[in-house]
Amino acid sequence: MKKKFSLGVVAGALLLVAAPIAQAQSAGSWLIRGGVTRISPDVDSGNLTSPSFANTQVDVLPATQLSGGITYMFTDHWAVDVPLALPFNHDIVGAGAISGVGKIGQVKSLPVTIFAQYRFLEPQARIRPYVGLGLTYASLYKERSTATLSGLTGGSPGIPTTLRSDSRFGLSPQIGVSIALNERLSLDLAYYKTFVRTRTTLSTGQSIDVKLNPDTIAIGLAYRF
Amino acid sequence: MNCQRKGLWTPLAIATVAAAALSACGGGGSDTTPAAPISSVKVMGDSLADSGTFGYKFTVQGSAPTGAGSTPIWPERVAANYGVTLCPKYQFTGAAFNAAAGCGNYAVGGARINNVTAPTSAASILKQMGDAGAAGFVDGDLVLIDGGANDASDLIGAYLQASADKGAAYAGLLSTLLPPGQVSAALIAGPTTTAQIGGAYMVALADKFHDAIAANVLAKGAKRVAVLNLPSIYNTPRLQLVLKGIAASAGPVASAQVLALSKGWIEAFNTQLNARFAGEERVTIVDFYTSFNDQVVHPEQFSFTNVTDPVCPITGVGADRLPTYTFPTCTAASLSAMTPPAGATGGANWWQTYVFADGFHPTPYAHQLLSQLVARSISRAGWL
Repeated sequence: MKKKFSLGVVAGALLLVAAPIAQAQSAGSWLIRGGVTRISPDVDSGNLTSPSFANTQVDVLPATQLSGGITYMFTDHWAVDVPLALPFNHDIVGAGAISGVGKIGQVKSLPVTIFAQYRFLEPQARIRPYVGLGLTYASLYKERSTATLSGLTGGSPGIPTTLRSDSRFGLSPQIGVSIALNERLSLDLAYYKTFVRTRTTLSTGQSIDVKLNPDTIAIGLAYRF
Repeated sequence: MNCQRKGLWTPLAIATVAAAALSACGGGGSDTTPAAPISSVKVMGDSLADSGTFGYKFTVQGSAPTGAGSTPIWPERVAANYGVTLCPKYQFTGAAFNAAAGCGNYAVGGARINNVTAPTSAASILKQMGDAGAAGFVDGDLVLIDGGANDASDLIGAYLQASADKGAAYAGLLSTLLPPGQVSAALIAGPTTTAQIGGAYMVALADKFHDAIAANVLAKGAKRVAVLNLPSIYNTPRLQLVLKGIAASAGPVASAQVLALSKGWIEAFNTQLNARFAGEERVTIVDFYTSFNDQVVHPEQFSFTNVTDPVCPITGVGADRLPTYTFPTCTAASLSAMTPPAGATGGANWWQTYVFADGFHPTPYAHQLLSQLVARSISRAGWL
């Protein structure tokens, strides 16, 4: 995968060489950025199916990770943007009837999103706000349960209760702003909300439906080729 | 497939590839290390927590009555989370309780906090705590304690006997924890104070329980102690039969009064227990009372199909004219082999979704749910 990324950079660089001298963020521009992204799930938890304490719910804690992205300007205003990031590690903690029990599991998330963006103002503008709409595939994987979850659901170290979360598609409306720092560099700030839900199934056969609906804040330094 | 490799930068349009990879990796791992470094579990209590003092457990028997293959009861399930196996500390020979070396479960069926007839026997939870305290506790100990259900049952029984013995048994029991002057004054003053003095007894009982835990467990070095509060024993088939008997002989109002009285006494005990341990970080009180009530009121939430009838067959009638049961012969295999009662579901597993094994004790499944309740409390305390 690393190789593919490098190829992408090379492809971008080649394109740069081939392209005429471009205006800032004008049609045909490639922007590559690096930075940090924080995903804060805005959880609306359903209840764990029986047998369970009434209103057994979960919360999913925020996670921060190194991130980046690639943007291609199709026109002076329309762009396609793909954020990239290392996988996020989210702790799953008890809520509702099991609030206070602490961590019951963890899950890695790797949201893959393709945004269509509209960037306001002229390509040369120092500050360009933008709006976007993305299709997100929230892949959830490498779930790990804890001894707490086993204790709460009748498992044991020999036969621990495990969990599995479904990966789902969702829509991500976005707002952002690009602030030019010089000819090539710009600061990119984006906020988006992803409307996505998941179903987590335990090895006991019980399940819980959760609206994750994460708020994402990304900050990056973008370089225009 | 190497799942580790998914931790790399993921390019754009491989979402579908990623999805395919995910289904292969799947997750489903578990970190079974508990939150606290607990290396041994010690238990004091009554039949609910007894791992086999009398050669069997007070529930449906597994393929063996004790040890490997036997039905795991709640403290054993809790201990299993730490990789700890329990065995009965006292082994009843028919005449005496022999202490077994290396075993950490001091609980004995029939044990009481205030054992009036045998205060120095292992059937006294105070004696159990005294023995455990003498052996000493270490930092890695988790201590699980239950008690008071037999005491409450004694008190209700003595109270109901009052019409026959003019309150002699009731006054006698009350006087073991309350000043005799206070007891006689209450009994003379009328039915209201006669009922109320039972509440005072339960408060004194909670004090006695608390003081013993403080002196013999906490003061002896235990740092993690979970104490079950008193369940609503009036929900048990045994007490329900008593209440029905009262309704038949003295009318539904009298029966409702006894129920309300029992409820008040149990709540008085639990309120005092909470108050005495308030602010004590080494102790967590497990709210068995509320949970047991929830199970009876909302059985479907806990996947119970029956919250009123015992699964074990009646094998006799006691001196109190209530049915008796024989745990050693009430095995999982025998219950699965019998024709399920009318209305039961689940085929041969019909008994696995009942609450009660006999008139007073839970089924293996109810033990599992109790262990899960304890797990919630000790997780909140940061111990699991």
